[in-house]
Amino acid sequence: MKLHILNRSPGVSRVHEQALAAMGPDDRLLLIEDGVQGALPGLAGAFAAIPGRLFALHEDLASRGLLARCDAAVQTVDADGFVALTEESEQTLSWY
Amino acid sequence: MSHDHDSADGELLVILRHAPHGSSWLREGLDAALVAAAFGQRVSLLFMGEGVMALVDGQEAGPLGQKGTAPTLRMLEMYDIDALWVEREALAARGLDEAALMLAPRCLEAPGIVELIDAHDLVLTF
Repeated sequence: MKLHILNRSPGVSRVHEQALAAMGPDDRLLLIEDGVQGALPGLAGAFAAIPGRLFALHEDLASRGLLARCDAAVQTVDADGFVALTEESEQTLSWY
Repeated sequence: MSHDHDSADGELLVILRHAPHGSSWLREGLDAALVAAAFGQRVSLLFMGEGVMALVDGQEAGPLGQKGTAPTLRMLEMYDIDALWVEREALAARGLDEAALMLAPRCLEAPGIVELIDAHDLVLTF
């Protein structure tokens, strides 16, 4: 299992398509920085192909006022959770 | 000094197209608007595309204490910048509505964007 990290919003960039294309069946995707905009209900549909494997960083959601506005498909993790996801992964890949 | 606050025309239109925290584009656009207003220009702001995220209510400092742009937005009124426009389509695309926003900007459909740009002598995009 690999952890893919995305820091661009699907609202302005198509790099998420590359991340999704590179994801194996057990891989997870973590949204950070501007990537957390993808947790909004209107944009989260971009990640419909990876149910249960979509995460967003709590701290970046909070700074943007998005904590209470996430789509139900998104699991939030804080910095410690980020570390835990990394530990569980054989490798991390950044998409930016 | 008084002018028609309901009018779409002004001297400078600043178009803000980037979200807070992720880059310095939004801050630089707001800085340009504040400088122009301080020199007496009539300034309008259009929050377009990802820029609508700047208006989302409940923003905080970043995890490392970065200030963000929400405090600057709250100062706009002090600079007499009260012509605030937001692209309705960009809100809808993100599943947001006006209730999620601070400062009560006015919503604009796509044809209105063309008119807004036409109504200003100078347009800066950030």
